[in-house]
Amino acid sequence: MTSLPPPPPPQWVVRMNTPMPRPSKEAASIPDPPGFSRKATGKNQRAQQAAAASTPAKPVETDTLKLKKAWEIALAPSKQIPMNAIMMYMSGNSLQIFSIMMVFMLFKGPIQGLINTNTVFAKFDTEGTRAKLLGVKAIYVVMQLVLLCLGIWKVNAMGLLPTTRSDWLAWESERQPLERAYFAFG
Amino acid sequence: MWLQATLLLLASCVPSSLAIYRDEVNHIDYHHALLGLPASQSTFFLKPSAASNASLLYTLSEKSLLGAVNPKDGSLVWRQNLSRSALPVAHPSAHGLLRASEGTNALVSALGDYVSSWSALDGKLIWENWFEGEAVADLELLELEDVSAAPATKDTVALFGGKAGVVRRLDGDSGKTKWEYLDESGDIPIQLSSSATEVFYVSLQPSARKGYRIKVVTLDPLTGRQTQQQILSSEGDVFSADSVLFVGANTASPIIVWADQSHKTLKVNVIGTKQVHAFDTDNSSGESISSITVHAPKKLESLPHFLVHYETESTTWAEVYHVDLTSALVSKAYELPRLQGWSVFSTSSKDANVYFTRITQSETTVVSSASHGVLGRWPHQAPPMEQALHSVSEVVAKGDTVAVRSAAALASGDWELIRNGQTEWTRYEALAGALAAAWVEEDAQEDLAHQLEVEGHESLYGAYMHRVKRHARDLQHLPEWLKGLPKRIFTSILTDEVSNLDGFGIVRPVIVATENGRVYALDAGKHGAVSWKVKAADTESWNVKAILTQPGSATIHADDGSSVTLDVSSGEILERTPGTTKIRSVAVAYGDTAPVTVGIKEDGAPLKSVDGQGFFVTLSDDGRVLGWAARDNQTPAWQFLPPPGEKIIHATARPSHDPVASIGKVLGNRSVLYKYLNPNLALITAVGESSATFYLLDAISGRILHTSTHQGVDPTQPISSAISENWFAYSFWADAVDSSSAKGYQLVISELYESPIPNDRGPLDSASNYSSITNLPLPHVISQAFMIPEPISHMAVTQTRQGITVRQLLCTLPSSNSIIGIPRPVLDPRRPIGRDPTTTEAEEGLFKYNPFLEFEGKWYHSHSRDVAGIKTVLSTPTLLESTSLIFAFGGDIFSTRVTPSQAFDVLGKGFSKLQLVMTIVALTAGVIILAPMVRRKQINAIWKASS
Repeated sequence: MTSLPPPPPPQWVVRMNTPMPRPSKEAASIPDPPGFSRKATGKNQRAQQAAAASTPAKPVETDTLKLKKAWEIALAPSKQIPMNAIMMYMSGNSLQIFSIMMVFMLFKGPIQGLINTNTVFAKFDTEGTRAKLLGVKAIYVVMQLVLLCLGIWKVNAMGLLPTTRSDWLAWESERQPLERAYFAFG
Repeated sequence: MWLQATLLLLASCVPSSLAIYRDEVNHIDYHHALLGLPASQSTFFLKPSAASNASLLYTLSEKSLLGAVNPKDGSLVWRQNLSRSALPVAHPSAHGLLRASEGTNALVSALGDYVSSWSALDGKLIWENWFEGEAVADLELLELEDVSAAPATKDTVALFGGKAGVVRRLDGDSGKTKWEYLDESGDIPIQLSSSATEVFYVSLQPSARKGYRIKVVTLDPLTGRQTQQQILSSEGDVFSADSVLFVGANTASPIIVWADQSHKTLKVNVIGTKQVHAFDTDNSSGESISSITVHAPKKLESLPHFLVHYETESTTWAEVYHVDLTSALVSKAYELPRLQGWSVFSTSSKDANVYFTRITQSETTVVSSASHGVLGRWPHQAPPMEQALHSVSEVVAKGDTVAVRSAAALASGDWELIRNGQTEWTRYEALAGALAAAWVEEDAQEDLAHQLEVEGHESLYGAYMHRVKRHARDLQHLPEWLKGLPKRIFTSILTDEVSNLDGFGIVRPVIVATENGRVYALDAGKHGAVSWKVKAADTESWNVKAILTQPGSATIHADDGSSVTLDVSSGEILERTPGTTKIRSVAVAYGDTAPVTVGIKEDGAPLKSVDGQGFFVTLSDDGRVLGWAARDNQTPAWQFLPPPGEKIIHATARPSHDPVASIGKVLGNRSVLYKYLNPNLALITAVGESSATFYLLDAISGRILHTSTHQGVDPTQPISSAISENWFAYSFWADAVDSSSAKGYQLVISELYESPIPNDRGPLDSASNYSSITNLPLPHVISQAFMIPEPISHMAVTQTRQGITVRQLLCTLPSSNSIIGIPRPVLDPRRPIGRDPTTTEAEEGLFKYNPFLEFEGKWYHSHSRDVAGIKTVLSTPTLLESTSLIFAFGGDIFSTRVTPSQAFDVLGKGFSKLQLVMTIVALTAGVIILAPMVRRKQINAIWKASS
């Protein structure tokens, strides 16, 4: 019994597992039904790319564009500042999981942003834009620092910064008397 | 299905773990409700009401405490303190009297000028009466034969001494005087006696030459008129009231018994007759008779028999006499054998029968008054019984056999019930006179501490080798440890953590020295049971000044300068040093080496000088505070005298173990108010006519750091004070002296700070040390006063190991017989007055000041217990930071443990180890079962999908 070869799969299985055959030339010539418009995007794109490749734009133009783009990115954090400030103000100064997580996010964003400063602006970095990009980067860093300051302000408001005398009380020691009395009041 | 089974198993665990919940009463605390040693004439068995079968044991103790004790187990049924009601003035030496009569449910007691009647069943007051300027000399309940008087109550006849002898009949219901008979002849009143029809007033009339004649005045019980008077010629024998040995009370034929001074002849007179019967005492021992005691039944229907008990230095015997009712003849019936050693007799009567019980050190015997045949004889268990002073007995006759129970007051101050020769219970009444107490220091810890010290002093390598060797040595305990492991795990699962803390210094025995020269060790693990007792003093009484404990031993210092060192585990006396000079107190100087003990003389001077840097601060008997350099015991370094008109009544200092966890107080805005911490502070209380002044002294320089004076203070009311860390508290009673002051009991709390400004450490700033002599700044003191509902007679502060736990002010409340612990956050002088706290103040835990401080129910450490007569409360830390031990003594003995900040380092009762273990086991089982199933499923999923 076992030596017998398995029976051949039924025809429908074979057909299902085999991919569709390429449409024939005739099928391509069949006109589209009325009212159907085939998108020409792919063709247009290809045409544009071809145009860009074939006729490169002027470097001054692209640099302006790139700089504009870079400015947009540099000023993006400033838009978050009012929102974050309101959120921090509303979340209260108590130590709760929610406010702690928000503060953590507030710190994470700017720090990551500062670390990635060069990568963010790497694609806009060209010979022509390099000098101008320095100012953009500086503004970007300042914006991130403002966000960071917001976080520090929040942490301080929560009482997590050792800025007060009581935070250092444990390191102060009791004054020792030089003399010692032994009481015998009975 | 498995999940279901697991859930079922878990669910079955829950109720069992909740069932362990038990109240901590009697678990963390113990209490000895004491009476004091029972007085011989005022102790008896009595049925509390006519209906009850069982009798209670009543006594009026030498401490003037009236109490009823259950003879079955020795537990206290009720008690009353008579000295509280008696006027404290006139007669300090007056002894109390307690009388009762079968069939009534009232006891009548007298102390000094105070006569009161109490319900026998529950100890409630029936009536009380004061007779100012007079002292009750004798008290009798009238047992009249005519039944016209209501049978429930019996009138009392009382004999008052004072300027003149007065006999009064007091109404049994109200205590009002029905009649009084005034004896203005100037005779010394001795005693009263009554028969069924007459009241006899016995007094001593001075004779012309010397001695006294006994005068018997017969009074009519209804009107109080004198009906007859007789004078017995006893002037040759009687020289004081003590010479009259006995005046019969309430028997059918009352008698007067006296003896001549050399105890050679005994003279007996049946009251109402003129005849005096003389009997020669039969003393063949060669020793002189030291005392003669007469025991007679006190009931009207009893046979008129009495027993005379003779005592010499080494032997005792007794004779029984019968009185013939018709002819009033007295005859000797029989004699009880002369025995070596002590013996005590007691009388008990059942209907007409009278039984005499004799207790000796080896046996108890019962004889009937009618014949000398021994009805019952019970040998005592070994060892031989301690000497008894007196006893009371109750005999039950069943056919020919009798059963007896006797309550014997022992010379050691114990009260023991012996039932048919077996000791049923012992009440350690001597503990009521506790003078000093201390916790025992265990021996085992000391060895380890020593080893660690050795390691600390060696070089790094040497210390390492030492430690390795020590641990290697410890391995020899490993088999035992492993053997005990299953049991330990098992018990720790079954019992909750709270009950299993013996290893943390929670269960420490306490040594108590009592005023009768005894030392007791109380085992905290067994509800304060006495684990050993020993007579440590040579004399019958001593005044203990201090108990100082060392690991394994304790030294007790008495006021005569002597000291006794005891082994704390057995009570064995290790060393005894004789007294030289009378001392006032004992100072302990902790130098670099072993602590040095120095006695302080009555004038405040130390007995010897000590090498070292320390200073001694002492009080002298004439009310001065003295400071001494340890090197010089001749001239004091400074002395403090209160202004004229003031007298120092109390002085206290910070406890020797008073750790401070934080040197500042953190305010709501995170700034710091620095505490004024000085271990050398002394708080002195001085009172004037109507003022109290509290001086805060620096003990090195003698400078006054702070003074507060209160006007209108009553110095006779309790004034107490305590000081700890950077605060002190005191309490007093003050009258309103002007419109702004308050009248009532006040509690004042003061805190000391370096500076009023936050974040400022004062003039010394961050200096690491300072000298009190050269540059000691004054503290900034903040105070607040509270009105409290009750007086506080003693204050103490809870102590913990590191002082992190919030402290409690332990106050003894004498008027409600309790001990409370007031949490320090409540007593914060910075509480805002007249307004709600701001948010920063609320963050600090401050709440609005309320001038009236009501004692909350949860502050009462003694909860429902009636902890009476407490004079001193001690506190000691344990190895658990959260827990402090408390021991109170002076009257009752009470001990508990407190957790002022909750038991934060102990697993609570709600924590079930069993449940935890079962959960882990169930989860593990679930994982083991489910893991193969899941694995199979995953494999199947891969294979079946691809096929």
